Amino acid sequence: MDVVDQLNAVRSGKLSRRAFSRSLLAAGVGLAAMPLAPRRVLAAEGEQGTFFTWGGFDVPELFGSYEAKNGTLPNFSIFGGSEEALTKMRGGFVVDVAHPCNAGLNRWVASGLFQPIDTSRLSNWPDVIPELAAIEGNMSASGKPWLVPFDWGQTSITYRTDIFELEGEESWDMLWDERYAGRLGSLASGGDAWWCGAIKAGVGFDDITTDEAFEKIAAVMRAQRPLIRVYTDDTTTLEQALSSGEMAAAMTWNSSAVLLKSEDVPVRFAQPKEGALTWVCGPMIHKDAPHLDRAYDIIDSLLSVEAGQFMINDYGYGHSNQKAFDAFDDETLAGLGLSKNPVDILNAGHFMVPQSQEWETRMNETFEMIKAGF
Amino acid sequence: MIDAPLTGTRPAVVQERRPGRLAGLFHRSESLRGYTMLSPTMLVMAVGILAPFIILLAMSFWTRQGFEFDTTPTFANYARAMSEPIFGAFLARSFWVSGIATVATVLLCYPMAYYVAFHVHRNKMLWIVLMTLPFWTSYLLRVFAWKVILGYEGVINSALLSMGLIDAPLEFLLYSQTAVIITLAHAWAAFAILPLYVSLEKIDRSLLEAATDLGDGPAWRFLRVTLPLSMPGVIAAVFLIFIPTTGDFITPALLGGPDGAMIGNLIQLQFGAVNNWPMGAALSIVLMLWIATVALVFLLVTRKAQERLA
Repeated sequence: MDVVDQLNAVRSGKLSRRAFSRSLLAAGVGLAAMPLAPRRVLAAEGEQGTFFTWGGFDVPELFGSYEAKNGTLPNFSIFGGSEEALTKMRGGFVVDVAHPCNAGLNRWVASGLFQPIDTSRLSNWPDVIPELAAIEGNMSASGKPWLVPFDWGQTSITYRTDIFELEGEESWDMLWDERYAGRLGSLASGGDAWWCGAIKAGVGFDDITTDEAFEKIAAVMRAQRPLIRVYTDDTTTLEQALSSGEMAAAMTWNSSAVLLKSEDVPVRFAQPKEGALTWVCGPMIHKDAPHLDRAYDIIDSLLSVEAGQFMINDYGYGHSNQKAFDAFDDETLAGLGLSKNPVDILNAGHFMVPQSQEWETRMNETFEMIKAGF
Repeated sequence: MIDAPLTGTRPAVVQERRPGRLAGLFHRSESLRGYTMLSPTMLVMAVGILAPFIILLAMSFWTRQGFEFDTTPTFANYARAMSEPIFGAFLARSFWVSGIATVATVLLCYPMAYYVAFHVHRNKMLWIVLMTLPFWTSYLLRVFAWKVILGYEGVINSALLSMGLIDAPLEFLLYSQTAVIITLAHAWAAFAILPLYVSLEKIDRSLLEAATDLGDGPAWRFLRVTLPLSMPGVIAAVFLIFIPTTGDFITPALLGGPDGAMIGNLIQLQFGAVNNWPMGAALSIVLMLWIATVALVFLLVTRKAQERLA
């Protein structure tokens, strides 16, 4: 079946019905089979490890040693909240390395989707601050950790010093300030917002599971909802809104304030008198990680001093490598709300406490209802 | 090409003739040929639509237990969807937003399609291509473009501010139902223009001349001839826009703000943060049933109206 012959036949009106339907069939099969062909070509690129992480960690600065070793960056997949990430992985999404935080650790481990990490394969492990690795529930039965601590920091309020008129001390009340109704922003994930609500409501994190705590926090969140311009997990949205003056204050992590300051926007990352919300996050390896060697390369790269200095300097997050702090003086660190001794900072705030799946589900359900206006 | 050897080598060995006989059977049976040609599409449909739908339907009768499912069939999810006000409210809001967006799109696109069908005589294709131009960029980009236009420091607000018409940026433009409706109406315009254009283009011009000869002015001529004859296009446009926009997720997620969320966002939450897949499945089925009902009612009403006009 020569294509040119067929075209000629069509032109002279001599193409038989039979030949025509055969060509149609061939075209149909060809179309249906087409997606199979380029797949093989793409496979070569898929040889890199995949890092399933928060937006903002998909930057080359964090993967210097990985790139030096493997010639290119790992593949990235981005999530907006860790609960969303876990659900996706439970649904069968396989990655090499994922990036949860300490509050989710128990549930992530209980999902059975992860393998303990062989720290002897990480060249930077001896420099990791031991207190960070010793977070609750991190030791597996074999004595290897499930999660390698990487970043730590705070969830607090970033506000415009020129717009927001502070009354007294910095406090969580700022995000409930009626004067700025419609000009306040919040992270959408209950993993941050609900805990901040607990601090505002005066509920201790040890009592956060009780019915009474649920009622108290829900009442606080309901009161806040009409004041909020937008709930989003996209920190860029909050940063842009703060920089344009659309928002006067928003719940953010350290990085938003640092990024805005570097663009000369007059903002401050509040140290609320009730204490900020503090957390530790880090990579975990999937039990079926298709590129285990690359997975260790990703983690080792994250733990490197270069990655740490970038995290501290450009994002204002704490890092787990003790040596990363050597390049900074105490004053700079204090200005960022950090310290060479992370335990001081973490304990000064309210350190998140791991919760059960039932609690997490109930909290998310309640919070989503409140955000929707019920 | 297969006929030639068959006629020439009749007494050939049986084994050699077998493929020819199979091919013969293939060519004799009209329906077999039809199904074979359809088979790649049908396979995709079965694997890509029917199978997930059956899974969705089955899952909607399950219950969540932690991260596992209790597979005993129960109507509990549907009962919840009926009884809790949040689901009804979101459904109503989705129909409202998508209904307004549909009406706005069809009203805006009808004149454009009309103009091209009746008043453009050269390069019609170029006009059609120009009108579908927004579709050449990704949907997400178009949504973000509207964010830039409607935003606090966006195009509209800065223009109004610099003209001195307003003192402070208009905040209702972004993160509201208005933003969702505007974006949907723009983003789905091509889906309305094309069917409207096709149905207007098909109208026999001699009917219009006849109407003029019989004394109808331009307005009556439009109402009594053009509009009824273009109704199939209008109905197609309404369906093409209303059905997908009701369940739309990304537009309200990015532009809707707290009060602009729609049923699609609620379903996404069930599969995401809330982690109640059976409830999400039940909501999807309820949404499908409601869309089917609304579509049927709309179809019946327009048919009745057409009959009365005729």
